[in-house]
Amino acid sequence: MGGMTEHLPAIIVAVPLLAALIVTVVWWFNDRLCFPLSVAAGLVVCGASANLFQKVLTQGVIEYRLGGWPPPVGIVFRVDHLNGLILVVVTLVAFLNLVASRRSAEKEFRDKVGAFYALFLLFITGLFGILITGDAFNLFVLLEIASLTGYALIGIGSGRASLSGLNYLLMGTIGASLYLFGVGILYVLTGSLNMVDIAGILPNLWPSSAIVLAFLLCMGGLFVKMALFPLHAWLPNAYTHAPSVVSSLVAPLTTKVMIYAMMRVALTVFTFDFAFNQIAVRGPILWLAILAIVGGSLMALSQRRLKKMLAYIVVAEVGYMVGGFWLGNKAGMSGAVLHIINDAVMTLCVFLAAAAITIRTGDDRLSSLRGMFKRMPLTMAVMVLGGLSLIGVPPTCGFFSKWYLISGGIEAGHLGFVMALIISSLVNVVLFFRCFEIGYFEPFMRGGEPHSAPVEPGYGAPTVQEAPVEMLFALLTTALLLLLLGLFSGQIVTRVIHQALPAVLG
Amino acid sequence: MKRLGLIAIIIFGGLLFSITFELPDLGDASSPASTHVSPYYIEHTLEDTSVPNVVTAILADYRGYDTLFETAVIFSAGLACFFLLRIPERKAPKARFYRHLTTGLTLRIEKGGRIPEESKEFERIDSAWVPNDVIINMTCRLVVPFVQLFALYVIAHGHHSPGGGFQGGVIFGAAIILFAISNNLRSTTRRLSEKSSALLGSGGVIIYLGTGLLCILLGAGFLNYSGLSVFPGLDPVSARSYGILIVEIGVGIAVTAVMVWIYYNLASAGTQEEGL
Repeated sequence: MGGMTEHLPAIIVAVPLLAALIVTVVWWFNDRLCFPLSVAAGLVVCGASANLFQKVLTQGVIEYRLGGWPPPVGIVFRVDHLNGLILVVVTLVAFLNLVASRRSAEKEFRDKVGAFYALFLLFITGLFGILITGDAFNLFVLLEIASLTGYALIGIGSGRASLSGLNYLLMGTIGASLYLFGVGILYVLTGSLNMVDIAGILPNLWPSSAIVLAFLLCMGGLFVKMALFPLHAWLPNAYTHAPSVVSSLVAPLTTKVMIYAMMRVALTVFTFDFAFNQIAVRGPILWLAILAIVGGSLMALSQRRLKKMLAYIVVAEVGYMVGGFWLGNKAGMSGAVLHIINDAVMTLCVFLAAAAITIRTGDDRLSSLRGMFKRMPLTMAVMVLGGLSLIGVPPTCGFFSKWYLISGGIEAGHLGFVMALIISSLVNVVLFFRCFEIGYFEPFMRGGEPHSAPVEPGYGAPTVQEAPVEMLFALLTTALLLLLLGLFSGQIVTRVIHQALPAVLG
Repeated sequence: MKRLGLIAIIIFGGLLFSITFELPDLGDASSPASTHVSPYYIEHTLEDTSVPNVVTAILADYRGYDTLFETAVIFSAGLACFFLLRIPERKAPKARFYRHLTTGLTLRIEKGGRIPEESKEFERIDSAWVPNDVIINMTCRLVVPFVQLFALYVIAHGHHSPGGGFQGGVIFGAAIILFAISNNLRSTTRRLSEKSSALLGSGGVIIYLGTGLLCILLGAGFLNYSGLSVFPGLDPVSARSYGILIVEIGVGIAVTAVMVWIYYNLASAGTQEEGL
C-alpha cells in the first residue's frame, strides 16, 4: 500500500497501543501468544521509525495532523532530524529489550505475563508518543502513560521495590505536575498548546516574569523526571529494586526521552534565543550538571551491588547530556544529542548484561561476579564492551560523544564541565575494571568465601552457562550497535544532528 | 523535613502569586485564551462536526488524540492495579460462610465441614465483612438500575449537554460498585466477572483506537472520522458526529470496566478468594 507511508507517524503510536490491548485480551485465553504478539508489534514499530527517519532525511520536517485538523486547532505530530533519529534508536532499544525479556518475564511474572507485556507495550507507546508529538499538552498526556506503567513495572520487583516504586510515583507526580503548571501558564499567556505556535507568539510578550516562571516550571518538572542531581533520589533505588528486565527497559529509555523533552521544550517552545540569551539559567544548570556528573560517579564508587552502581552511572550520564546541551554551542549540543542515542545503547548493554548475570547467579552483588568470565564468556565480553564505551575508549561510540562534549566544554571555556567529564571517565575506569577484576581473577567458589580455602585445579571450576538465547541475541546485537554507532558517528553528527540544531549555531 | 516542605511550598506559592498580576483577569474576553484558538471552536464546531456541544467536539474530535490516551491512562491504571495487587495462586479459603436466607443467620463452615451446596435455603457469602442489612440491601437494589439508566443517558447525551463517556462510565461503574458494597463481592462477580471487566476495559479502548485506525484504512488520517462517510447515509460532517458517539461509547465501556476491575482487586486485597 503506497498511501500507507504518510500514516507512518500514527502507526508508531497506534500499533504498540493496539498490541497492548490485544495482549490483555488474548492473555485470558492463551498466554503463549503474548510474547510473539508483542515482538511483532515491536518489529512493525522499528520498521516504521526507520522508514520515517529516511523520509525525514530526504524530505525534511514531517507534520501529521491528527483528525485532519490543522494546528493550532488540532494536535499534530512533528518529526524532524532530532526526534526522527532518537525514535529510531529508542524503538530499536525497546525491541531488543522486549526480545531479551522473554525467559525472565516468564519466570518472574508466571501468572501475569500478559499484564507484563501489556504494561511494557503501553510504556513504550508513551515514550514514542513523547518523542513524536508537536503539542505541549499532549506531551504531558503521554508522559502520564509512560510514568504510570513505569511505576507499576518497578513496583512489582521483590524486597523494597514497592517502597521505591511509591517514592518514584510521588516524585514523578510532582515532576509531571510542575510541567503541567508550566504548560498551563503558557496557555494562559498565548492561548495555544501547539509548540511551534507558542514559539511564534512568545517573543511578542518578552520580557515577562510569567514566561520565565513557566520556563522554570517546565524545566524543573522535566529535571525531576530525568533525575538531575539534587532531584535524583528516586532513581537509584527504583532501578535497583525493579525486576532486571524492567531496569534494562526503564534505565536506557526514560531519562534519555526526558532529556529529549527538555531539549524540545527549550528549543522549540521557548526558542534558543530565550533559553540562552534572554534569561540567565545557563550557568546554574551547568553547575547542576557538573554536580550530577561528579556526585553520580562518586556514589557509584561506593556501591556493592552491580545494578545500583549502574543506576548511579545513569545519574552521572544525565549530567553529561544536560551539561552538553546547556553549553549552548554547536559541539556541546551535538555531543548531547549524540550521547542520547549512544547512552541509550550503552545503558541497555550494561543493564542487559547485569540482567543476564542476575538470572544465572540469583543476585547482583559485585562479589557474585567471581568466575563470571569462565561461566558466561559472551555476556562478560559484551559487558566489557559496554564498560569501555561508558569509559569512552575509542572504537566504541561512547568515545565520540564524550569527545564532542569535551570539545564543546573547551570551546565554551567551561573548565568545570571538562574536568567533571574527565573525573567521571576516570571513575568509570575504576568501576568497570573492578568488576572485570572480580570476574576474571577472583576464583569461582560455590557458595564459599573467596579466600577461605586454596583452590585446587579443576575443583569448583564453573561450567559455561550462558544467558538464555534470546538475551544473548539482544546482547550481541547491542554490542554490534555500540561499534556501528561509533563507526558512523561522524556521519550521524554531520548529516543528522547538525540539521537538528538551531540555525543560530551555524 | 516537615519544615523543609513548608518552606518549599511557601516559595512555590509565592512564585505563583508573584506572576498573577501579569496574567489576564478571570473571564477577560480579550485574553489570549479566549481570542486565539477558542473563537475557531465556538464558530465552527457545528459546521465542522454537527455536534452542538463544543466541549464534546474539542474533547473527542479536535483533540481526540489526547482523549484516546486519557482513556489509555485509565486502562493502564486498571492494569497496573491488577499487576501489582493480584495474587494469582488460588488457595481454598480457611472457612466458608453461608447465610440462611429466611432467618439471616450466618453459618461458618471450617475446612472439611459438610456443605449445604444444594440447599436453596443457604446462600454462600464473602468471608470478608458482610453486612446483612435488608434496608440497605433492598434500597440499593432499587437505586442501581436507575443509576445505570442515567449513566447511559449521560453517555448518549454528551453531544448536546454536559456529559460523555468519562462521566457516564464513572456513574455506571459506581452503580456496580454500589451493588458490590451493599450486597457482596460474590454476587457482583457472578454478574460481571473479573475476566469480563478486564476484557471490557481493553475492549472499550479498542473501540476508540479501532475507529481511529479504521479511518486510516478508509483513506482519511488517524482519528479523522470524516473518513467514515463511506458508510451509506453519512456525509463527512455527520460522520464526525457519529465517530464522536462511537468513541464516547468506547470510553464509557472502558471507564466502567476499569473502575470495577480496580474495585475488585482493592476490595479483595488482590486475593479474590471467593473464586472470582
